[in-house]
Order: sequence, then structure tokens, then C-alpha cells
Amino acid sequence: MNAVFYMASAVAVLTTLLAITRREAVHALLYLIVSLLAVALVFFTLGAPLIAALEVIVYAGAIVILFIFVVMLLNLGNAARTQERVWLPKGAWRAPGALALLLGGLLLYVLKQESRWMPVDRVVDVKEVARALFGPYVLAVEIASVLLLAGLIGAYYLVWRGPIRRPGRRD
Amino acid sequence: MEYFFLLLFTGLAAVLVGAGLLTSYLVAPHRPNPLKNSPYECGEPTIGQSWVQFNVGYYLFGLLFLVFDVEAAFLYPWAVVFRQVGLTGLIEMGLFLLVLIVGLVYAWRKGALEWV
Repeated sequence: MNAVFYMASAVAVLTTLLAITRREAVHALLYLIVSLLAVALVFFTLGAPLIAALEVIVYAGAIVILFIFVVMLLNLGNAARTQERVWLPKGAWRAPGALALLLGGLLLYVLKQESRWMPVDRVVDVKEVARALFGPYVLAVEIASVLLLAGLIGAYYLVWRGPIRRPGRRD
Repeated sequence: MEYFFLLLFTGLAAVLVGAGLLTSYLVAPHRPNPLKNSPYECGEPTIGQSWVQFNVGYYLFGLLFLVFDVEAAFLYPWAVVFRQVGLTGLIEMGLFLLVLIVGLVYAWRKGALEWV
């Protein structure tokens, strides 16, 4: 399982780097999907099968669809690739790259200090998550529905173009 | 062994798709010509490029799908412990669904699901 964890993590890091650096939006999206699938595998090896499944269903499934829709709506073509090159010159990577390196170094340092950082010996199965969701965290679940409601209504008003006029009916 | 059926489904899916492709490859005659190799668009000749601006209305349906996908994500764990949480769980989930159904009915009544 350890080997699977390291391989999946390597794939996740590599595909995320590629997703950031591709100039073609659709290619970047394809790498993002592979990255999300790799993260799902990482969750699975860490003993969280439900989160792994949700990563595939919600992130690689639903959220990537929104990304693809944005690409379709914005009508990106050759002009967008040129624009991307103008917006992201070579030097733009320096500061964020240095900060990310610093964070990565700190993460490695912390992991070295803490010896039992990988809880592979304990699998948190769906039943356990469900008991927590419908026990102490039930209020959070209900609040989540309100959050989803906000998403629903927000989505509707995003494309709202005034009241629809139907013959013989007033709105 | 816990994930045996997952493996079985994955294998069956691969075999099913592979068998279909292989059979059509073996059985179909191979006589390509430029007309046959052109993309099929309901039998019509292609007009313009595929880089066209799509209607923003598609995004609404994408977002609605995302909302109900996340909602379904809460339903899976509930289904697993359905018997243990009993009536309390049913009421909790009923409230959860009611909030979203009210939202959906509101958007529906306002004509959000109509294609303009």
C-alpha cells in the first residue's frame, strides 16, 4: 500500500504541475482530471474509501463539468493561447514558485518531526462517516443543504434574463 | 475481498467495451475514403469551426447538476446506516431534501428550467 501511495502522490504532483503550465485550457483540464483521480487513490491508501469515491464523483465528475462548460462559454481559441503567453511571462513564476518551495520545505520538516503521520492501519469506512454525519454533525449536514440551496438559487439568477413572458399569463 | 465487486464491475466494463470495439474492428469491412472519414454531424456538411460561443444556459444545468450531485453524496452514507439511524435519520434527511426541493420548485416556478 505504501508503494501505491507514493506512486499516486507522484502522479498527482506531476499532473498538477502540467495542469498549471499547459497553455491549452482543455489539455490543462485533462491533466486536472488525472490529478484528481490520483488524489482519490491517495485518499484510498490513507484509509478513507468514501472520500476517495466522493473525490471521483464530485470533483472529477461534477466540478470538472463546470470547468468544461466555462471553456465552452468563453470560446477559447488560438487568440486565448497567445493571450495566455502574454499574461504569464517566464518571470511571473519566480515569486509564487519560491513561496511554494518554502511551504514544501516546511511540510517536509513537519513530516520528519511527526513519525506517525500516515494512518494506513486504520480504515474509516462509510458506516463510521455516516454515524458521525447523522450523530454529532447533523446540524452541519442541515446547514450544507442551505449552502446547496444558495448555489441553486445563485445558479438560477446567474442566467436570469428578466421575467419570461408567456401569452395569457402574468409573472 | 471487500472490493471484489468493484474489481468485477471494472473488469466487466473493460471487457464489454473492448469486446464491442474488437468485434466491429474484426467484422467491419475496411474501405476508407475522404467522405467516410469526415466527422459525422447528423448527415449535414460541417459549417464553420467547432469553436463557437455556447449558450450560457448550459452553465445553469451544469450548476444544477453539481448541486444535486453533492446532495446525492450525502444520501450514500445515509443509505448505509438507514436502519441504525431510523426515524431520526429519516426526519433529518427529509429536512435536508425539503430545503433543496423548495429551492428547485422555486426555480422551476420562475421558469429557470425552460430553454430560452
